[in-house]
Amino acid sequence: MNKKATIYTYSIIYTASEDFKDQTPYVIAIVEDKDSRVLSRIEGYEENKEIHIGMEVELFKTDESGNPIYKFIN
Amino acid sequence: MLRSVSVIGIGETRMGKLTSKSIRMLIKEAGNKAIEDAGIEKERIQALYMGNYNASYWSIQSHIGALASETLEIGHIPTIRTEGACATGSLAFRQGLNAIAAGIYDVVLIGGVEKMTHKPIETITTGLASAADFEYEVNLGSTFPSLFAMIANRYFYEYGDVRKEMAMAAVQNHDNALLNSNAQMHKKITIDQVFNGFPVAHPLTVYDCSLVTDGAAFVVLAATEVAEKIAKKRVVEVIGTGHAGDSLTLAGKKSITTLEATVKAANEAYKMAGITAKDIGFAEVHDCFTITQIINTEDLGFFEKGRGAKALAEGKTALDGQIPINTSGGLKAKGHPIGATGLSQINEVVTQIRGEAGARQIKNANIGLNHNLGGTAATCVVNVFKGR
Repeated sequence: MNKKATIYTYSIIYTASEDFKDQTPYVIAIVEDKDSRVLSRIEGYEENKEIHIGMEVELFKTDESGNPIYKFIN
Repeated sequence: MLRSVSVIGIGETRMGKLTSKSIRMLIKEAGNKAIEDAGIEKERIQALYMGNYNASYWSIQSHIGALASETLEIGHIPTIRTEGACATGSLAFRQGLNAIAAGIYDVVLIGGVEKMTHKPIETITTGLASAADFEYEVNLGSTFPSLFAMIANRYFYEYGDVRKEMAMAAVQNHDNALLNSNAQMHKKITIDQVFNGFPVAHPLTVYDCSLVTDGAAFVVLAATEVAEKIAKKRVVEVIGTGHAGDSLTLAGKKSITTLEATVKAANEAYKMAGITAKDIGFAEVHDCFTITQIINTEDLGFFEKGRGAKALAEGKTALDGQIPINTSGGLKAKGHPIGATGLSQINEVVTQIRGEAGARQIKNANIGLNHNLGGTAATCVVNVFKGR
């Protein structure tokens, strides 16, 4: 599973909702694959990691709702 | 509009962390203020439209329409509660406006209320996040600030870095709020403070975010022909109104740096009023986050796309500027009691047009608008007001 997409935009979350408060900081992004855009969480963020729009990320898994979760490519 | 409609009464509570005040008390205070301001007998009110976003979750209290009519002792009139995320208050306003314009009623009361500060921040965050798409956005871990943070990062990419101007928007709104006794924040802040605030969702710090607020705001609307006979103060006519929508999800939008719902709602309102953006003298715009204020002033047609930040830095949106923005202090410093916000914006526009804004009174306040966004710009309402 090495399907790639690019980051259209992103944010690093420090204040989360009840379900995610133990995981901060983590990255949320809209990723672009050809013409389609979806919201995704990008796994593998570490403090001070450089992130930019246009950066390639790799499909990691799909969650219970069918949402794609991507990860940073090291 | 089929029939001209005007505002004849306004009233709001002070905004803030109002620990000792219940939803009922907030409604009573703001509702009675608006009715007294209009100078009418309660028997004249034919319907009540109540905006409330999420008391169902934060206070386990739904059916706010009936709660409000009982609290205000206005009898057996029809009531309804509207909900459209942060645009909730303006949606209630539009329902009342439409009913009078259609000739169904002559006088209606419209209110908005929210009680938020009694809950822990995670519960507030979850309640707010439900205005986004829970299945496709919130379940992945996104929060409301993070969705607008993504809008900001994309805006930087497309139009250049406006981080500093975003901070200036917060500073300006805090300055305006210092002159507003109803505002939640009475504290001058600096650009450095904004930069160094707690990083809620990069690039937004806590100072880029609107406030968590308890408060209520009400408006009395009347058919203009009736208003001119009964109003005690300057009649303020609603000369244009627009309401547009967009995808609930942020990823589903064609552009996230031009918010199409704002463009469409504004164009509808301007067309109805027979004006262009140039005729607007001042505006209360939906600054849920500092980036949104900049984008709004472009999408409403006040400044060219990509130039909103520069205009702000040049002082064009200050109290003495070419088009003062958020003279009340905005959502950032006056406060953001979700369901009441749109009506609180209307309270400010009417206050300015009447010339009752005191230390923050702007010159030549004759035509002003309120712009109210819901969700990540999935719902937008724009109303244009003119003094008669």
